[in-house]
Amino acid sequence: MINIHFDDSKTLWERWQRNAQRTPDRDAIVFWAAGEEPFRWTYKKLIETAKKFSVLIRDAGIKKGDVCAIIMRHNALFYPLYLGISRAGALPAVLAYPNPRLHPDKFRQGLEGMSQRSGLDYILTEADLDPMIRPLYEKEGSTIKSVFFPLEWDYKKDIDPAKDAEVENIAKSIQETDPMLLQHSSGTTGLQKPIKLSHRAILDHVKNLGGAWQVTENDKLISWLPLYHDFGLIACFHIPLAFGITSIQMNPFEWVLAPVILLEAITKEKATMTCLPNFAYNVLAEKIHDDELAEINLESLRLVLNGAEPIRHDSHQKFVEKFQKYGLNPLSLACIYGMAEVTLCLVTSVPGLPLPELVVNRNELSKGFLKFADKDSVTRVCVSTGRLINGCEIRIVDENKIDVPDGVVGEILAKSISMFDGYRNYPEKTKEAFYDGWYISGDFGFKHNGEYYIIGRKKDLIIVAGKNLYPEDIEDVINKVEGVTPGRVIAFGEEDDEMGTEQVAVVAEIIDERLDKNKIRLAILKTGMEIDINIHKVYLVPPRWLIKSSAGKPSRMANKGRLAEKNDPLIWCR
Amino acid sequence: MISQELKKVILTQLDLDDFDLQDETMATQVPGWDSLNHVNIILAVEKHFNIKFKSYEVLRLKDVGDLQKLVDTKTGK
Repeated sequence: MINIHFDDSKTLWERWQRNAQRTPDRDAIVFWAAGEEPFRWTYKKLIETAKKFSVLIRDAGIKKGDVCAIIMRHNALFYPLYLGISRAGALPAVLAYPNPRLHPDKFRQGLEGMSQRSGLDYILTEADLDPMIRPLYEKEGSTIKSVFFPLEWDYKKDIDPAKDAEVENIAKSIQETDPMLLQHSSGTTGLQKPIKLSHRAILDHVKNLGGAWQVTENDKLISWLPLYHDFGLIACFHIPLAFGITSIQMNPFEWVLAPVILLEAITKEKATMTCLPNFAYNVLAEKIHDDELAEINLESLRLVLNGAEPIRHDSHQKFVEKFQKYGLNPLSLACIYGMAEVTLCLVTSVPGLPLPELVVNRNELSKGFLKFADKDSVTRVCVSTGRLINGCEIRIVDENKIDVPDGVVGEILAKSISMFDGYRNYPEKTKEAFYDGWYISGDFGFKHNGEYYIIGRKKDLIIVAGKNLYPEDIEDVINKVEGVTPGRVIAFGEEDDEMGTEQVAVVAEIIDERLDKNKIRLAILKTGMEIDINIHKVYLVPPRWLIKSSAGKPSRMANKGRLAEKNDPLIWCR
Repeated sequence: MISQELKKVILTQLDLDDFDLQDETMATQVPGWDSLNHVNIILAVEKHFNIKFKSYEVLRLKDVGDLQKLVDTKTGK
């Protein structure tokens, strides 16, 4: 039963405050850290602490409209800090905390590119990162005005009522069309595009998507997804908070090391919803010993949402087979498809109904046509990502942008009332993203019986465990590896059926076939590590092996196709 | 000190011929040992030594030396 009244709040802060007035003692955020008692932010406590942070933010000189990059590990204070930034009228932009393997120079380069593009004004981070960040912000011409360490702020002390009133006035002056946050697309060398979302876009979106998921007062959403990812930030943080329900937040690094902790938390908290990228279904189904599952009970789950990477039928099947005996309702499986540019979602499954799946002829599908499989077909199972949510429209078009009929594969164009307000300071990229008012997704799919099936993508994006990687970033660094011919490298994604995701593969021409190939491979792997990318497979080929595109650069698609022709003795692969 | 046996299991799982694994070596320093592959390495170690780790034991591992100690404890060395 949908019993949440979505009021007429104009900003997220207003909405959060009203939730705190309505249900002050309800858990807003349950912060999970392995081996510790969960920390519980009630709505009342969360808002009170956010107010204190907002005054400290103001004291730090941060003004309305300033962009505050937050680079922090899993920490309970992240949540009131984020809300406090919003109350002060500044824009939070959550960025990934650097993995230790990421080279400090590469981290700085990425941040510098991002700051020049997005105009990051302040960095709110942990003191540990100071040595890495300081050279960047002290650099002449840096857009970054200062770096702060909010975890060291005295947020418990009473706030000056006059200052509190001043910040409240700022909060009241925020218009619904004002930008609320920045989300950065993936990338490592400043290619990231800063997506600007308004209060209105987010409020409309959480209302429409929450409506599609039939969110009720009884729901509790649990997530280990990082908050720099739209699936984590919008689906698992903004939706629960805007609806006034509970969000249980887990540490992504802990989850990936010990996946069972998600199931333990679902059992203890009686969570009803969770969001997972496809690979997580494989990990949960295949990488946990049965004897660790004795206490697990998944009966409370009513929605297990798959998104952020291509959805695989096999992963769902493994997941259900493993967990049905632990109370998992197979009808809880659901999907979502969208992108950060429309805030998050375009289509999602209808809760409680079986996921529509089509067994189709793979060869016909690769030609662009839906044809159901017969006994002689090579088959592919396509899983529906769902139906349109309110406020969204989709067109499926051919290469001339002419609409194709149902059952024909084309490119997805999208409209949403929660469309982003452009890439910040990037008008040329914003313009490129649209065709006649429609956002060009770069994804291919088809429609059948009102359901949308996404089957591939036009862009050369690689999605590893829900994380988007750009081949250009990888190729740029591998080009510099000793023994590799500069400019003669391609990177692409290869299916890893066991893990239920893509993995990064690299093809590199070597300058001399007599060189030690194992040594070059190791150098390639280490170079990938410096930009925090794990290269799964290395193909080394002789000079002039790679096929060039008409633009004179090695073609990813053509060379990937050439690799598929087995038994080429010129290819060294490991 | 890391035993040759544990080293071999890890390097085989990572498809590396050799790599200098010391007590203080962390996963992030070893090519291929990312968070996604971590679970596969742990499972390979469990299988090879015929032991089982608890999730919380795995979470506490900071470096290869910790993994060696845990293997030693489980195998009674």
